[in-house]
Amino acid sequence: MAPLVQIENLRKEFDNVRALDGVSFDVQAGEWIAIMGPSGSGKTTLINILGGLDTPTSGRALVDGTDVARLDEGGLAQFRAEKIGFIFQQFHLVNYLTALENVMLAQYFHSTTDEHEAREALGRVGLADRITHLPNQLSGGEQQRVAVARALINSPKLILADEPTGNLDEANEAIVLNLLRDLHSEGHTILMVTHAPSIGQMADRRIDLAHGRLAAIEHAVRRV
Amino acid sequence: MFGRLLWKLLRSNRGRLAVALVAVISGAAVVSALLTVELDMSRKLTQEFRLLGPNVVIAPKGSTQPSIGAASPTLMDEQAVFPVVQQVSSLNIAAVVPYLYFVARVNQTPVVTAGTTIGEAIRSEPTWKVTGNIPTADPRESGVGRNVARQLGLAAGSQFDISYGSRTEHVTAAFVLDSGGPEDNQIFTDLQLAEGLTGLNGVELMQIRVNGTSQQVTDEVAKLAAALPRYDVKPIRQVSAAEGNLLDRTRLLVLSMVVLILALTALCVLATMAALATERRADVGLMKALGGTITRIVGLFLAELGVLGAFGGVIGCLVGVALAGWMGRRVFGTSIQPRWEIFPLTIALMVVVAMAGALPLQRLGKVKPAVILRGE
Repeated sequence: MAPLVQIENLRKEFDNVRALDGVSFDVQAGEWIAIMGPSGSGKTTLINILGGLDTPTSGRALVDGTDVARLDEGGLAQFRAEKIGFIFQQFHLVNYLTALENVMLAQYFHSTTDEHEAREALGRVGLADRITHLPNQLSGGEQQRVAVARALINSPKLILADEPTGNLDEANEAIVLNLLRDLHSEGHTILMVTHAPSIGQMADRRIDLAHGRLAAIEHAVRRV
Repeated sequence: MFGRLLWKLLRSNRGRLAVALVAVISGAAVVSALLTVELDMSRKLTQEFRLLGPNVVIAPKGSTQPSIGAASPTLMDEQAVFPVVQQVSSLNIAAVVPYLYFVARVNQTPVVTAGTTIGEAIRSEPTWKVTGNIPTADPRESGVGRNVARQLGLAAGSQFDISYGSRTEHVTAAFVLDSGGPEDNQIFTDLQLAEGLTGLNGVELMQIRVNGTSQQVTDEVAKLAAALPRYDVKPIRQVSAAEGNLLDRTRLLVLSMVVLILALTALCVLATMAALATERRADVGLMKALGGTITRIVGLFLAELGVLGAFGGVIGCLVGVALAGWMGRRVFGTSIQPRWEIFPLTIALMVVVAMAGALPLQRLGKVKPAVILRGE
C-alpha cells in the first residue's frame, strides 16, 4: 500500500536560512509519528508544508497522492479543508465564536455545516456542556479540546498537531494525549511535533530533526 | 452558518462598526434629504415663481412694449383673445389681466395710468402690497402707486379728479400700492373707465399667469403663438429663465454635495475597515488554515459591509425625511413631502459606498496562514 505521506528531499529556505535541508521519509496510513528536535530544527516548517500552509523551496511533499507544492491558492484551500486537521499549540480559536461555532467553522469551509455532528464531536472531547461558551470562558485544556474536535470534524486523512500540549498543564496534557491516543487507535494518521520525549514515546515512530536535516532515521519508540 | 458568522462578526466589532454605521446613517440622511429637496425643488420653485406674477404676455404683433400714452396705440380685443387662450391652454390659467396704458393728469400732474381689471391684476401679483381696499364692483374705485400717492398727497380713501384730454372722471383712491417696481409710479383705474376717458376700445396687452414649470410655460407659449398668429405671445423671460437657471444651479449644487458626502462616507467606512482588516489578520489566517478560500472569507466581510450599508441606509433615510422637512420649513418656509422613491436609491448608494470601504480587505488576500499562526 502506498504511504499516506511521502516526503522526498524536501528543502525550505527563508532569507538564506535553510529551515529544511533534504528531508525524506514516508508515513503509512494509521501511523502516529512524533517529530522531535530542538527549536529551529525545522519541525514546524515541515508540518506547515505538509498542511499546505507553506510551500517548499524544492523537493516533494505528497499527502494522499497530492503534491502539495504544485497546488495553487484555491487548491491549497481545498486540500486543507478536505485532507488536513490542524491542532495548534496556541489553540487558535476564533474568539467571538462559541465552542460549537468554532467546530462548525471548519465544517463551513469544508462543505456544509451539521450542528448535530459538531455537538457530537464536542461531546466526544468531553465538552458537551460547554458548547455555548466562548474561548475566553474556557480553560486552556478545554480550548485545545475544542481544537481537537474542530480538527476531527471533517474526517481528515492527516492530523497535524504542532506541540498540542505545549501550553497545557499536566492534567490537561493527559486529557489531550488520551484523545490523540484514541484517535490513533481508531486509525487516524497523526504527525505530532513535540519537544517532550515522554510524549514522543507514545508515537509509533519518532523522527528527529536537527538543523533542518533528519538526524535520526525512523526508530521505533515505546508504545504507551 | 453564513448568517450566524455574519451576526457574530457584526456583534464582535460593534464598537468600530458603530463609527462606520454613524457615518453611513449621517451620509444617508443628508443624501436622502438633499435628493428629496432636489426632487421637490422643481415643484417648490414653480410655486415660488408663481408668486412673481404673470409669466406670459400677449400683445398685437410688434407692440409688446406698452405704448404708455402713444397717440394711437395698437390695440387688441381682449374679449376675442381670451376664449382662444382658454381653448388652447392645457395648463391651469390662474389669471388674465388686460392693460390699457395712457398718461392722465391729476391736479395738472401727468401720471402714467393703467386701465385694467384691478382685482384680477392684484391677485395676479402676489408680491404687491396693498394698503386699503381692493375694488370690487365700483368702477370709480382706483388705486395709486405709493410714489404717486406721496407726490400728490393721496392716501387710501382720498378722492381726486383724473383727466385725459377734455374728459375728467372723479374717482376714489381705494388703495395705495407698494410693488417695489414701476407700478409705484402709476395709477390703476377700472378698464371701462379708462376706455371712457381715452375714447379707446381695446387693450394694449394681456398678461397671463399659467401654472406650470418653466418648460411647460415655454411649451404653452408656443401653442398660444400658433393659435394666435396675429399676436406676439412671449414668456416673461426674467421669470422663466430665472426659474430654469436657479433649478439648474441648485440641481448641480445638490448633486455635487451628494457626491461629496458619498465620498466622505466611503472614506469613513474605509478608515474603519482598514483598522478592522489589521485586527482580523489572525482570524483570516486561521480561516485560511481551516480551508477557507479568500473569496469566501472576504465574502463574509463584504456581506457585513452590505448589512452595514443597508441598515445605515434605512435608518438614514428615515432621518433624512425629518431633515428634509426641517430644510423645507427653514429654507422654503413650507413643508417638503417625503419622496419614497428616494429610499431604494439611497439605500443602494449606501451599500455601494460601504462596499467601497472594503478596499483595505484586499490586504487580507496576502495573509500567509503560516506567518499568522506563528504569531507574527
